[in-house]
Order: sequence, then structure tokens, then C-alpha cells
Amino acid sequence: MADQMTIRETAAPAVGVRVPSANIYAPQWRNFVFVAPFLFFFTTLLILPLFWGMWLSVHKADTFSTGRFVGLDNYVRLVHDKVFLQSVWNTFYFVLLTVPALALIGLFLALCLNRRTRTAAVLRTLFFSSSVLSVTIVTLIWRIVYIPNVGLLSTIYGWFGATAPAFISDPSLAMIGIAIATIWWCIGLPMMLFLSALQQIPQDIYEAAALDNANRWQTLRSITLPSIKRTFILVIIIQIVLQFQLFGQAWLMTRGGPNNLTKPIVLYIYDTAFRRWDLGMGAAASEMLFVLILIAAMAQYLVTRNKGDQA
Amino acid sequence: MSAPSNSIKGRAFGDRMLLALVILLSIIMIAPVLWVIGLSLKENAELMANPNSVFHAPYTLKNYINTIGTSSVFRWVLNSIIVSGGLTLGTLILSSLAGYGFARLNFPGRNILFVIVLFGLAVPEQAVLVARHQIFSMLKFHNTYHGLILPGLSASFGVFLMTQYFRAIPKELDEAAMLDNASRFKIFWKVLLPLTVPAQATLGIFTFLGAWNDYFWPLISATKKDMFTLTVGMASTQTNFAQSEGIGFLMAQAVFAGAPILIIYLFFQKYIVTAVSGAAVR
Amino acid sequence: MTANIEIRNVSKQFGAMTVLDDLSLSIRAREFIVFLGPSGCGKSTLLRMIAGLETVDGGEIAINGERIDHLPPGKRGIAMVFQSYALYPHMTVRDNMAFGLDNIGVARDVIDARIAEAARILEMPQLLDRKPGQLSGGQRQRVAIGRAIVKEPKAFLFDEPLSNLDAALRTRTRIELAQLHQRLQSTMIFVTHDQVEAMTLADRIVVMNNRRIEQIGSPMEIYERPATKFVAGFVGAPAMNFVDAAIDRSGDVITVTFADSTTIATDIASNQVVDGAHTFGVRAEDVRIAPTGQGNVDGKVDVLERLGERTLVYTRLSDGQIIVASDAGNSRVAVGDTVGLAFDGRKSHLFDETGRAWHARRA
Repeated sequence: MADQMTIRETAAPAVGVRVPSANIYAPQWRNFVFVAPFLFFFTTLLILPLFWGMWLSVHKADTFSTGRFVGLDNYVRLVHDKVFLQSVWNTFYFVLLTVPALALIGLFLALCLNRRTRTAAVLRTLFFSSSVLSVTIVTLIWRIVYIPNVGLLSTIYGWFGATAPAFISDPSLAMIGIAIATIWWCIGLPMMLFLSALQQIPQDIYEAAALDNANRWQTLRSITLPSIKRTFILVIIIQIVLQFQLFGQAWLMTRGGPNNLTKPIVLYIYDTAFRRWDLGMGAAASEMLFVLILIAAMAQYLVTRNKGDQA
Repeated sequence: MSAPSNSIKGRAFGDRMLLALVILLSIIMIAPVLWVIGLSLKENAELMANPNSVFHAPYTLKNYINTIGTSSVFRWVLNSIIVSGGLTLGTLILSSLAGYGFARLNFPGRNILFVIVLFGLAVPEQAVLVARHQIFSMLKFHNTYHGLILPGLSASFGVFLMTQYFRAIPKELDEAAMLDNASRFKIFWKVLLPLTVPAQATLGIFTFLGAWNDYFWPLISATKKDMFTLTVGMASTQTNFAQSEGIGFLMAQAVFAGAPILIIYLFFQKYIVTAVSGAAVR
Repeated sequence: MTANIEIRNVSKQFGAMTVLDDLSLSIRAREFIVFLGPSGCGKSTLLRMIAGLETVDGGEIAINGERIDHLPPGKRGIAMVFQSYALYPHMTVRDNMAFGLDNIGVARDVIDARIAEAARILEMPQLLDRKPGQLSGGQRQRVAIGRAIVKEPKAFLFDEPLSNLDAALRTRTRIELAQLHQRLQSTMIFVTHDQVEAMTLADRIVVMNNRRIEQIGSPMEIYERPATKFVAGFVGAPAMNFVDAAIDRSGDVITVTFADSTTIATDIASNQVVDGAHTFGVRAEDVRIAPTGQGNVDGKVDVLERLGERTLVYTRLSDGQIIVASDAGNSRVAVGDTVGLAFDGRKSHLFDETGRAWHARRA
């Protein structure tokens, strides 16, 4: 029976002859077959467009053709374009409105809901549920909240005989309106990240603190918060990367208006490349966004690399 | 902390404040959704006359019947199912193969390739969108299903996740299978892949959800109404907000589009939370 | 279904580090051989090289005279039982055993017959349709062995297969393994760091340390005539007593003198030993407790370990040296007592600076 287990066709090398020994971990080209399918799509649909985009950004281009080389012209035009500068400012303003709020509310919810009761579980489910909705539904919901007449807000204000603030049309409130909808939509992720960080704090530290007569505030300040410091930074960076890519909410709720005051960079790219069909300029704008996001991603890498507390 | 009784009273008061705040936030989470559901159950004329009529009968399912009967929602749902399903299937196949390759096999340039794939995690969609759109225009891929599916197949996250998962499986299993004379593919297919089912579920649901909710790429690639995904289609109806069909009808569409996803979420909550948190932290 | 295994001048590097250095070993057909050594000595690496899971960087390995070191693991006709068992978690016990046979195209009815036979031998027919997760540690162990048996391999390789079992189960499984070897008459190679496993199971033990083979021999040879100081110290519990000593080889046999001028006459022939620093070695059971002043030397009792059938007496000599003696199970010695220690010179050993050993002349 053992004969079946030896291959006969392979002639055994003679004693004393140096033959390469079997190496199951040796690098072999045929192993490449397993990663090749993914790498094909990765290269053609990500790497190629990445460089193609850089190349486009130094050309005058429309949908079907790439025109003449214009050097850094597109970039120069961008930094002189009031609308682009406005969109950069809008994006930063939006990030400033949403990210700290998301981090703080997320932390607050995590601290409150980090317990093994049924109510806490139900509330966790509730606060995360909005995250699974598409941007279309979220904006639909919030427009119906903000809309005059049949809107939820105006109805509630109506009970008190007051007029609701015009979150969509008032230039000074429009971005805030978008930010509120975004916080409502995105609160689940920071909460969950904080919760998983809280659950990794060893329970015996709390027992030790209780033996040391620490009150709740002291425990929070000297144990809980320091142990999730790294997660806090991580949440901030993740949210910066995410919120930098604001598009759907602004496009669907305000179309970037009034007066481009809610137009973020991505919407600028969309307008330039896919509505005015100035692909070169759109590509240049997306390169600038890429650099901004890459900086944040690098920061995330640096934070995750030093495994202080578990994220 | 003066007297113990004091501190307990203070604690109870603090607890009540926190509770009140959490309840307030819960109301903010729920109220808009309830409002939408309420509006979807009302006649348009009645709403316009008095929005407070939401709080009392008569309620009607007319808006839902209209949604099912007249709108393109079904077509869009079908498109979304095809696109999300296709992308999910493709992602699972590519990621599993590549994850196994990177975790278990050696080939020339493996480490540098893996670093490049990891770098792909940091590339935002917007950085490649413009060029991708031009390439797809040249290939006449727009307004096709493959045009909607293909870009998602280049995402590194699945490969990253599966590589991590394969690495966590003890190497002795591969070695035992090698002693059992199994080929590399057989080890992958018969021994390791069945063990990755939890990761497949996580990745599958995450990919499906992401594709279902994706807005930007379908918006610029599917410009014909027949090729809209549900997300894009829903957005297109919002432009004539509160006009032709009426608010109740729009709200019924929103409920119709959102409910399945929320139900899926309730069933697969654990996987979804794991996937989303995992994708964020990487 | 058995084979001899020839390992010739094998060496192995991990990067710049050499883990095995020019190692040769002949394993006879039907032999139960145990690789024994501390962790990191290379014993598992050697086993994995035979299995084909590690490359052979120099030298060659042959089974029944045929070179196999160039063959992939599955083509070598051997079976291995892993420390973690490495059962396929999603397959039933039956499928675990069938997998390897299926892969080499054994007919279904032959597979079924072999599985039934293995299940009978290992007394686990009722487990065949369970999955590994539903089994206890001991049962998994049996399945792992069963998976090896059905392949009817030329040799069985065991990589510390008992270390994940609790003490009672380990003893039982040890005996079952010995019976299995009796019954199958197969070549078996067993890697362990546990000397009791080695002593009880092996036909021959290969003691390894620090990239090399220290000694190959039957358990009693290893125990009674350890080739080196390392073997003497590693095999046997408690470890052999070592005392630095000067030697006098003027007579036929060597006389040793401790630092406190205690002298002991040994039965070691003088002619081959050369002068230099030496260490005198004697096992606890060859040190007898005697009334004070009547042994070779006196010691103060530090610790007593009562093991039931015997008592280990840890004594401290005047220079602080610890000597362990073995006394009867019901020994009357108490901690703090001063006792005499009588060394059995005929069973003592001598080690030179390089660790090489000399033993008493054979009777």
C-alpha cells in the first residue's frame, strides 16, 4: 500500500548527489496564480487610473480625448478659482462641525451604553442603525425634517407658534443643517469603536480603583479616558478622512448652494469633471483632495503602528 | 465627597441626567424616521392642509400601492441586487484567493506586492474617479452592469481582511494536508476555505451593504434611468421634491428602500458591526 | 508496512543560525526511536525535515535506501501526528481519516475498510461521525493517530503528541502508543522533551542538544552510561549529582578527591582518562543515607521530598554543595538532621572539561 504513496516516475537521485531538497515554502511563480486575478483588477482599476488621473491633471481633457499638455496650468487655475477655494474652506468647515461632535457624542454614548443590560443593547442597535442607510435615504429623511410647512421641525415649532430656522436655505445655517444630518447618519461607527476600546480595558484595573476608593469621576478621568486615548485620536482621524469626502448630503440637500456655501471639494470635482466635462481640472482637484486624505491616512498609520491600547 | 449619603444622592442625580440625555438622543435618532413613516401613510392633500394630521387617522396605504404600481423602484431594486450581488460574489472570490496567496504561499515579489495592495487602502475613490470614468467611456462600459460592478473589485480591503484571517489559521493544518498529499489548490478549497466562513460572511455583508449604498460611481456611470441603482434612482426622484407625486409618495419610496436594509441589519448586526469597525480601523 | 530511515550528514540553517550541524543517524525498520532534548535543540526541526516540511540544507535522507529529501511531503509515504493534532475542524472524524487516502486515489471500499480497522484498534467507532470540536483532548489525539494509521505509512512521525494532554491521560496514551507499536510493528519516530516518555517508549533514544546528537542508545544505556555530562544531567529525575573533584589515576581504578578532601574509590579504569579538571557524578539512588560519620561525607538535610516508594533527601555539604540522596519511602530522616552520605563508587561517573564521560568498568 505504501507504494501508492511514493511516486515511481520520479527517479530517486543517487546517494551523495546534491539535488535541491523539497521546499514547501520556496517562492514559486505558479503560486502567483492565486493573487493574479485580484492583482489584475487592482492594477487596471486602481493603480492605472491613479496614474492616469495624475497625467490627466496636467492636460486639457474631456470625456473621450485627452488634449494638449498644459503643465501645472490646471493647478494654477484651481488655486485662483474662488469657487474651488470656497469648496476647500467649506470642506474644512464641515469637518470642523462634524468630527469633534461625532467623537464626543460617540464617546458619550459608548460610556453610557457599555453595559450588559438589554436596554443598552437595544440602544446600541438603534444608534448604529442609521449607519446602514444610504445617503439618499438619509438626505430624504432630513429634508423632510427641515422642509417648511410639512417638515418635522416646522411642525414642532408650529406647536409653540414659532417659525423653524431655515436649515437648508439660510446661508449661515445650510452647512450646519448638513452637518446635523451627517452626525445623525454617522454616529454609529465612533460609538462602536469606543465601545470595543472600552471593552478591552482589563476589568481588574477597575476593581483595583474601587479598592482605592476612587469615585466614578476619578475612575473615568484617571483610568477610562487615558486607556482609550489612542482610540480617540484614531476616531478623529478616521472621521476626518471620511468627512473630507462629503458629497452626497451636500449634493442632495442643497446642491452646494446657497451661493456655493455648502459646496465641498468632492462636489466641486463632480461639477467640474462630470457636469462641465473639464476632466483635466477635475483630475487636478481630485489630486489635491488625495494629498489631503493621504496626510490623514499617514497619521492613522502612525497612530495604529504604536499599539498602546487596542483600537 | 463629604458624606456617603451625599455621594449616593449625587450619583443618582447624575445618573438621571445621563439617562435623560441618552433618551433625548434616542428621540433625535427615531423621530425623523417615525415622521417619514407617518407622512408615507397620509394622503397628500390632507398633509398640505395640516401637517399635524399625521398624528391621527385616517391613514392609508395608497402611497405604497402607488410606489409598487407606478414607479421604477422595482427596476432599480433589481439593478441594485445584480450590482451588489455581483460585486459581493466577485469580491469574495478574488479576496479569498488572494488572501490565501498572500498568507500562505510564497512567490517572487510577494512582500512588496502586499505592501502595494495595503497602500491601496489609503487611496480614496475620488483620486481615481475622473480617470476611471474616462477609461470606462472609452471602453463603452457606462450604463452597463459590469461598468457598475468592476470598480469595486479593485478594493484592497477584502484581500487585507482575508489575508489576516488565513494567517490566523494554524499552519499545521496546511502541513497535515500536505502530508495527506493534497495540492495547494485542494488545501485552499477543501481545508482552509471552509474555515473562513465567518470572515466570508463579514466581508460579504460589508461589500453588499457598501455597494447597495454607493452613490457616487453609479451617479456618474449609470446615467440612463433604466440602469439606475436604487440609491441613484431614489435621489433622482428627490429633485422634484414635493411636486408631482407628492410628499407621501416620496416617503413611501424611502421606507420601501430603507426597510429591507434595516431588517438585514437587525438580522446580521454582529457581522455588520464587526465589518464596519474592522474596515475603519484596518 | 515498515522501513528503515537513513539520515546522512544533514545540516540545517535558519538564516545565519545553524540549527543542525552535520548530523547522521540510522533508524532501523520497526524501531521506536525517540528524539529527546531541551526545546530549541533541533529535534522537531529534524523530524520536520524527515516529513518534508523543512528543507534539507545539506546531506540527505533516505527511506529504504531511496532518497526522499527532494520529494514533497505527500510523496514520502510517511504520516505525522502533530502536537496540536491539526485535525481538519470542519470534517468529521471519518472524513479526516479519508482525506489523505482520497488524495492518492485509494478505492472507496479500501478506505472504508481501513477506517473501520483503525477505529477498532483505537476503540472509537462511535466517534466516526463527529467533528473534532465535539471531541475531548484525548479523543482528538486518537483521531490524529487514526489518521496516521489508515495511511499505512512506512514510518510514523510524532511531534510531542502528548504534551497537550493532562497528566493521567498522558500516562495512559503512552502505554497505548507502546501497544500500538507492538501491534503495527512500524517504524516510529517520536519527538519529546519529556524523559519519562522517552525512557518508556523508545527502543533507542537520540539525545540531542545544541545542534548535535549527544548520544544514541537504548534507554538503559542512556541512563546508566550517559555519553556526556549533558546527557547525564538531562536524563533522570532528580538530575545527577555533580561534584568538582581531583582525580588520582595512580591505581588500576580512579580515586576522586573533593575540595573538602573526601575521597571516593570508583570503578572507572585509569588508563584512558587524562589529567585535568573533572566532575564526579552520581545518581541519587546511588547515594545511600548512613549514620553520621559513617558515609563518605556528612551533610545537613535541607529538604525532604517524600514520593511514597522512596524519599529524596536534599543535603548540604559543609562547602555548600547540594547532594541529593535516595532513601526508603518511610525514611526516618528529618529536616535539619546531619546524616552521612555513602556514595556507590561502582556506579559513579566522571566527566572531563569537554563533558565527555567515563563509566565504571563493565562487570
